[in-house]
Amino acid sequence: MLGQLLQLGGSLLGILFLGLVCRKLGLGEDVRISSPDEARRLASEALCGFEATDLVLDRAGIGALLRDGQGRVMLLRRHGAMFAARLLDSHAFARLDRNFLTIGTGESTFGKVTLDLGDRAQVWASSLRHLGGSARA
Amino acid sequence: MPDFNPVDYAVPGFILLVLAEMIWARAKAPEKYEPRDTLVSLAMGLGSTVAGALTAGLIAALYFAIYPYRLVDIGWQWWAWIACFVLDDMAYYWFHRFAHRVRWMWASHVNHHSSQHYNLSTALRQTWTGTIALGFLFRMPLVAIGFHPAMIFFCGGLNLIYQFWFHTEAIHKCPRWFEAVMNTPSHHRVHHATNPLYLDKNFAGVFIVWDRMFGTFQPELDSERIHYGIVKQLGSFNLLWVAFHEWIGIARDVWSAPWGSKFGYVWRPPGWSHDASRDTSDTIRERWLALQGEAAAE
Repeated sequence: MLGQLLQLGGSLLGILFLGLVCRKLGLGEDVRISSPDEARRLASEALCGFEATDLVLDRAGIGALLRDGQGRVMLLRRHGAMFAARLLDSHAFARLDRNFLTIGTGESTFGKVTLDLGDRAQVWASSLRHLGGSARA
Repeated sequence: MPDFNPVDYAVPGFILLVLAEMIWARAKAPEKYEPRDTLVSLAMGLGSTVAGALTAGLIAALYFAIYPYRLVDIGWQWWAWIACFVLDDMAYYWFHRFAHRVRWMWASHVNHHSSQHYNLSTALRQTWTGTIALGFLFRMPLVAIGFHPAMIFFCGGLNLIYQFWFHTEAIHKCPRWFEAVMNTPSHHRVHHATNPLYLDKNFAGVFIVWDRMFGTFQPELDSERIHYGIVKQLGSFNLLWVAFHEWIGIARDVWSAPWGSKFGYVWRPPGWSHDASRDTSDTIRERWLALQGEAAAE
């Protein structure tokens, strides 16, 4: 039993060591969406058949909102060194503060993201309100 | 009779190879690793060994209860080890295929696929709930045939060790003869991809021949840029959510589904829903093929 606990403790230290090495080596890039085309590609990879007809990028490139021909709205946001996406529905939450739009998906583990959408923030906040539910601006 | 787990002896090698791959990534592709993702993968690996230790006795007891009723006495001859390793790998193939096609089993196996990265730490991202998912049933026929449970556990350990090294993007392709027979980084990258073309392909553990034999083989194409993870990316580094999210999803779906559909959320493929409002890997592939057809026609 003691041996197993020591093994467990050693493994835990090993994990923390590898995590530290990973950080010290500077791994995990500071990824940004650099162009509308990149946002479109990420969106179509996230959901097969999603072809954005309108989109807005966060000014720092940490996320984007996209709309397709069917009126579906997708939120793209940074997740570590990758991006994760969600279609926004009636459970979506949106709060506008000048150029900043804070968006939640209704999934607590996915979290909220605040995007700097510049002068397009108000238009998108308004369009999210049409999704219904608790979206508000 | 071996009374040790070969995986225990491989752990130092795993750590050294992860370190080596991190150094490679620093020089070639820093985005291949992400510290929080790596920590989650390694913590899942540690939790998996704890969960495995807690339930190994139950599985061993079941196998040893069946063993006296075996069909033949195979014993400990040299050829029995080879036969056991090969048949255990075929059993793994079928376990793995079911783990992608039955949501109850996927709820456990999804842990291994939930990273959006594909590196050696991803290999260690193992489930905490494998016993609940009933994966051990797939090795029971080997016991019933007459392979000793200890031999099966040993071969299973070797199989797991083999599966570590090919979770990498550092190796493009192996020699052709090797790619033809063995599972390789290229073949397994396809398995971890969410590209519609690649979904539910290459289930092999050690020998890729099972996929060729049972119609699930898909070669990696240079023209198809791979994106890794799961169809609905988690977007979270919360360890408990990574470990249990699909089980929670099953519970929610069973709770809210109409009576006649409840069981479907347990045994049907991941993504199935009674109102067809969600995507399975089959519907995603069909949609993708339709889009490819439209693009070709234009």
